[in-house]
Amino acid sequence: MRVCAVHELAIAQNIVDIAVAAAEREHAQRITRINVVSGEMRGIVPMQLTFCFEVLAENTIASEAYLNLEIVPVTGRCRKCGETFTVKDFLYICPRCQSSDIEITGGTELRIKDIEVE
Amino acid sequence: MKIKVMTDLLEANDRIAADNREIFDRNGNLVINLMSSPGAGKTTLLERTAEALAGKVRLGVIAGDVETSRDAERMEKYNLPVVQLTTGTACHLDANMVASALTDLDLSQIDILLIENVGNLICPAEFRVGEDHKVVILSVTEGDDKPLKYPLMFKESSLLILNKIDLLPFTNFNMDEAKGNAHRMNPDLDILELTATTGQGIEGWLSWLKGRWQRRLESLRRA
Repeated sequence: MRVCAVHELAIAQNIVDIAVAAAEREHAQRITRINVVSGEMRGIVPMQLTFCFEVLAENTIASEAYLNLEIVPVTGRCRKCGETFTVKDFLYICPRCQSSDIEITGGTELRIKDIEVE
Repeated sequence: MKIKVMTDLLEANDRIAADNREIFDRNGNLVINLMSSPGAGKTTLLERTAEALAGKVRLGVIAGDVETSRDAERMEKYNLPVVQLTTGTACHLDANMVASALTDLDLSQIDILLIENVGNLICPAEFRVGEDHKVVILSVTEGDDKPLKYPLMFKESSLLILNKIDLLPFTNFNMDEAKGNAHRMNPDLDILELTATTGQGIEGWLSWLKGRWQRRLESLRRA
């Protein structure tokens, strides 16, 4: 079967593993929500991640959990004038001074922030 | 009840990558993770490298492919230790897959281990395998905007190889634009131009590789 033939599968497996381990440490019965932060640069496709997650979470205490995916935009800081800004449409150019000497400051995150359990 | 987690989702992979790294340190290997889109010239570059370095440096190859062992077969005539990894459904190599290949290699007899990742500009960039350097190949037929579209790949790499430069006259590929875009993602990125099929410019790649190997040996000696 050729579903989840993407890095979303590996990431979904890690979400299940990490969330279940964290919930079990607190002796929780079930996980109701998982909050994941994903930088835009990670190129995660939410529908694929959710699908893979649902498949992998079956028969675990995360099987009914809602997977909340917060996409963090790519942000940059201009090395010339110090302006900080959000990068849109792959335009890595300072909106203030037009310099292309940009330091990428955000948008590569990929982690579970927290989970909600019962 | 809310439980704070704050765990990086690739932590499990990174742990195995660190284990691989220890094995490479012990055996004194320089490890290169070679990535590109399909057809950009990974295997051809490996062939040229094997030819040029035969008898000088002991190379080893791990070739990743979704389905076939064609790439490994192409490498066979160079008399190198080659391990084929068929990933099945996965679009990238991860640390665990590479770890499984290491049991089939005598790493103590290898100086430079070249890992040919699965052809893909997105997923391979996410997964460390224990390498010293990621190297990305971009062929000029693919377009000079690729660094902007697949930023993580270029951000993570130490070297960008612009391949198939003999085809430049037949494309609208703008060399300065491509380099500028790549440096915007990663100001420290080294960039080389070559044509792997003809061998034009290949000496730049060989001397880059040699320099990195020297540095690796020095740092291992100091450790």
